[in-house]
Amino acid sequence: MAAFVTGIQVMLGLAALVAMVRAVQGPNLVDRIVALDVVLILLAGGLAVQAARSGSELFVSAVIVVALVAFAGTVIVARFIEWRDTP
Amino acid sequence: MSVAEIAGITLILGGAILSFVAAWGLVDFPSALARMHAATKSASLGLALVALGAGLAAESATLFGIGVLVTVFMFLTAPISGHMLGRAAYDAGQVSGLVHDDLASRPSRPLSFETSRNRVSLLRMLPLVVIWVLLWRDSSAGVWIGGIAVALAIELIRGIRSRPTLVRPGAFVVFLAQYVWKVVLSNLRVAWEVITPHNDQITEAIIAVPMRTPSVPAALLVANAISYTPGTLTIELTADPLVLYVHVLHFESVDAVRREVADLEDLVLAALGEPLAV
Repeated sequence: MAAFVTGIQVMLGLAALVAMVRAVQGPNLVDRIVALDVVLILLAGGLAVQAARSGSELFVSAVIVVALVAFAGTVIVARFIEWRDTP
Repeated sequence: MSVAEIAGITLILGGAILSFVAAWGLVDFPSALARMHAATKSASLGLALVALGAGLAAESATLFGIGVLVTVFMFLTAPISGHMLGRAAYDAGQVSGLVHDDLASRPSRPLSFETSRNRVSLLRMLPLVVIWVLLWRDSSAGVWIGGIAVALAIELIRGIRSRPTLVRPGAFVVFLAQYVWKVVLSNLRVAWEVITPHNDQITEAIIAVPMRTPSVPAALLVANAISYTPGTLTIELTADPLVLYVHVLHFESVDAVRREVADLEDLVLAALGEPLAV
């Protein structure tokens, strides 16, 4: 189980690296925020399997917090783009 | 190994592979909205699968409960952030390469809610209180009182007037089953396009789809359901009349898109017990 969880976490970590390529390249703010949203969702997945391995309640709360931050961040940036472009 | 562990490990593996393909889609797909179809939705479903699988693999009821909560949460939030980001990108002029664009001639105003502050609905508060208590994982009196206080505060602050919509359990299960199947199929289709080197099938378009029902809750559920399936994304919803503006990844014809939405609308209306016309 421990080796399996580590394998999954490595896989999610690689996925996050790939997503970071898009976040760095852009070219627009929309592209970057989509990529960062994905990175946070991948992080939440890694925390969820860590919760299964350790049985610690801390990781369970962290999954929810990270998922909330990903959502709130995306919505706030979307609002920012709309307001910025409205004279 | 128990059956639950094997099922959990399968779910985790499936979710992780889907997440990886989603991240790859970010690099592979040609435009911002296309990447939103491939990445955000598939990654959300991937997280839901991983969280459910983690609960099963650890054989922990608490963790599985959190997995269910994450799944519901992803279904509620991924369409909203996708919709807001899609509309912001469109209004900022960052969406190009559309073969058909109904949103360019958008005549009516966006949907807005009547607001009022005078009605507190216990039926709306109940799920909030239950989720609060579940998150604390402690059912002492203090936690319940705290949950009720927070739910009451939300009721008083947001002031959106909507009557609670009742659900027909049988029809709702049919809707859920067909919908989950549709989500899985469209995720697999987009994942396949990410893996194969050529994206020849991508033809983006924005189609106006008039809703046949006057019911706003039904329209919102259809809009959310559409946005969670890769390949279709609600960009805008206008009132008077209710019209959905749907961004599609694989445009074939306007009628095909409208028929797809109408099928989903039928399922939603049956589940909510709403009439087709006033």
